[in-house]
Amino acid sequence: MQKTVLVVGAGPAGLSAAAGVAASGLNVVLVDKAAQLGGTPILSGYAKLVPSGEWAKDAMGRMVKRVENASNVKIHKETKVTKLAGEAGHFTATLSNGSSVECGSIVLATGFTHFDSINKPEWGFGSYEDVVTTTQVEQMVAAGKIACPSDGRVPERVAILLCVGSRDRQIGREWCSKICCTVSTNLAMEIKELSPQTDVFIYYMDIRTFGLYEDRFYWKSQEEFKTKFVKARIAEVTRSPDGRLLVKGEDTLVKRPIVIPMDMVVHAVGMDPNEDNAEIARVFGVGLEKHGFIDRAEHYTNTCGTTRRGIYAVGAALGPETIDDSISQGQAAAMRAVADLNALVQKTA
Amino acid sequence: MAIHEKSLIDSDRIQTSENLVLDGVDVSGHWNTMILPRYLSNYDTAFGRKIGTFSGAENVHRCWQCGSCTNSCTVYAQNTDFNPRYWIYLTNLGLKEEILKDKDIIWTCVSCNKCTNICPKDVRPEGVMKALAHWLEEEGHTPVTKSTIFDEEFTGQVYETGRIEDTRVMINFFRKTKQPLTPPWFIELTKRMMKHLPVGFLMHMGLHLVFKPRTKSWGRTGQVLREYVREQKEAAHKARAMPKEAVHV
Repeated sequence: MQKTVLVVGAGPAGLSAAAGVAASGLNVVLVDKAAQLGGTPILSGYAKLVPSGEWAKDAMGRMVKRVENASNVKIHKETKVTKLAGEAGHFTATLSNGSSVECGSIVLATGFTHFDSINKPEWGFGSYEDVVTTTQVEQMVAAGKIACPSDGRVPERVAILLCVGSRDRQIGREWCSKICCTVSTNLAMEIKELSPQTDVFIYYMDIRTFGLYEDRFYWKSQEEFKTKFVKARIAEVTRSPDGRLLVKGEDTLVKRPIVIPMDMVVHAVGMDPNEDNAEIARVFGVGLEKHGFIDRAEHYTNTCGTTRRGIYAVGAALGPETIDDSISQGQAAAMRAVADLNALVQKTA
Repeated sequence: MAIHEKSLIDSDRIQTSENLVLDGVDVSGHWNTMILPRYLSNYDTAFGRKIGTFSGAENVHRCWQCGSCTNSCTVYAQNTDFNPRYWIYLTNLGLKEEILKDKDIIWTCVSCNKCTNICPKDVRPEGVMKALAHWLEEEGHTPVTKSTIFDEEFTGQVYETGRIEDTRVMINFFRKTKQPLTPPWFIELTKRMMKHLPVGFLMHMGLHLVFKPRTKSWGRTGQVLREYVREQKEAAHKARAMPKEAVHV
C-alpha cells in the first residue's frame, strides 16, 4: 500500500499541505522549482503580510522550518515533475533531477504568476522608471525606504492604480484578483509610515476589501492615513517636461478629464495563472478552467479535487487566493489526500 | 479664429481678448479667442486639510462616496444642484475651483442633519456644508452674511460696554445691512411698546440709547475679551493654513 503524498510547490499552500500530511504520519515528497522554499512571498520579497502584519520572511520562515524539521518530508529544490504515470493510489512521478517518486495522491500547490505590466504599455511600466508594481513597493517597504527609482527622491505624491491585469477584457483577464485592493490600501499605509509627507492616491473602479479587510485596511488607510480614493480608470501615464509623471483619465465623479502630476505610479498587479500551467496540465493530466487556472472537480464533496482522481489543487493554483485561505486549503487537501490513502488501506485489508 | 459652435463650450472657458500677443506674435483681431482646456490639472491637497480644521468638518476625509447624504438631503429634493456628496469629494481631492462654481448654493443647507444621521462613515456632512460656507465667507468668495454682521455688532457692543442695547443693535444692524431703518414691523413694535410699557422704562431705554452706559466696573474687561477672541481666531486660522499633522506636533 502507498504511504506517500507528493506535494508540488512550496509556497504557503504547499507548505501547509506538506505539514498536514506529515503530521498525520504519512510521508511527503515536496518538490519546488525554485532554489529557496517559501513561494512567491519569499521569492518576490514581500514585506508585511495581510492581515497579520507579520514580516513575510518570519511567517514563511516558520512554515518552511516546520516542514524541514519533519523527518517524514523529503524535499527536492530546483526540481520539476517531468512525467506522471499510474492512477489514484499508485502514481509514479519522474522528477527533473532523475529520481522517481511512488505516491498515492498528489497535491498541486503551484500558485500563480504576477501579471506582467509590460502587457499594459499605456500605463507606462517599462517606459518610465518611476512606474513600478506593488511587488516593487513591497521590496521598498522591506528595505525601509520609499524612493523614486529614477533619481532616488522621496515622492511627494504616489498614485496606486488598481486592477492592473484584472477585470480587463482587452487583455483577456476577466477575473478580479481578489487581494490587490487590500494589498494596495495596506501599502498606502506603509508608504505613509515610511514617508509621512507623501500623499497617496488610489485610483479605483470599486474597492473590494472583502470581509474583515474592510475596516482594518480600507477604512484605516482612509481615516487614519488620509489615503485619497479617486474614482477614475486611468487611460494613460505619460511624462511631463519637468520629469514628473502625468496620470490621464476621466474622473468618474467630477465627469471631467484629469491630467495630474505624480512622482511615482504603482501598478496593483493582479494574479495570472501560473505561467507553467500549460506544462503542469500536460504532465499531470489535469484540466484548466477557462481563465487558465487549474480546473476543479465537483465542489461540495471532493475537497480541492481537480479533474483527475487522486490529484488535488490548492491556493492560487485554483484562482486568485489570499495567503490565509491558501494555507487553509493546503490543510483541507492534506486531509483529503490522507483520507484517500486510508480508504485504499481499508480496501486492501 | 471664429468658433462656430460656442454653445457647446462652457462660457467660462472661452476667453476673448482685445489685444493678444502669443510668443511675441500679435494675434489681435481674427485670432483673439482662446478656449481654455477642460481637464483638471492638479489637486490642492492642502485645501481638504484646511476644511478639515473647521469645527464639524473633522471627518470629511472619511467619505467613500456612497451618496447617502445627497439621497437623504432636504435641499437636494428641491434643487438637484445641491449635492453634498459631490462637494465632499471635491474637498478631499482639493478641487477648489469646482467648489467655487457652486458657491452661491452651498450656504442653502438647512441643517436638518438627515445626512449626518444616515452617513455610514460618520462624515457628518452637515458640518462640512457649514465649514464650506464659512470658508467661502472668510476667503471673500461670498459676501459677509447678515448673521455675521449681526454677530459683530452684538459682540462689539459687549466689548465696549459689557452689555447690549437692543435698539442700538437693531439700528446699527439695519444700517450696516443697508436696510431701511424703520421697516413697518419695527414701527409697529415701537408703537405697541410705547402703548404698553411703563413710561419710566421707555425713558430709561431712550437715555441708554443716547448715553451708552457701561456695566459697572467693566474696566478693561472688554479689551481683554477682545484680545482673547482675536488670539483664538488667529490660532484657528493658523491651524487652517498648516497641514493638520504639523499642528499637533
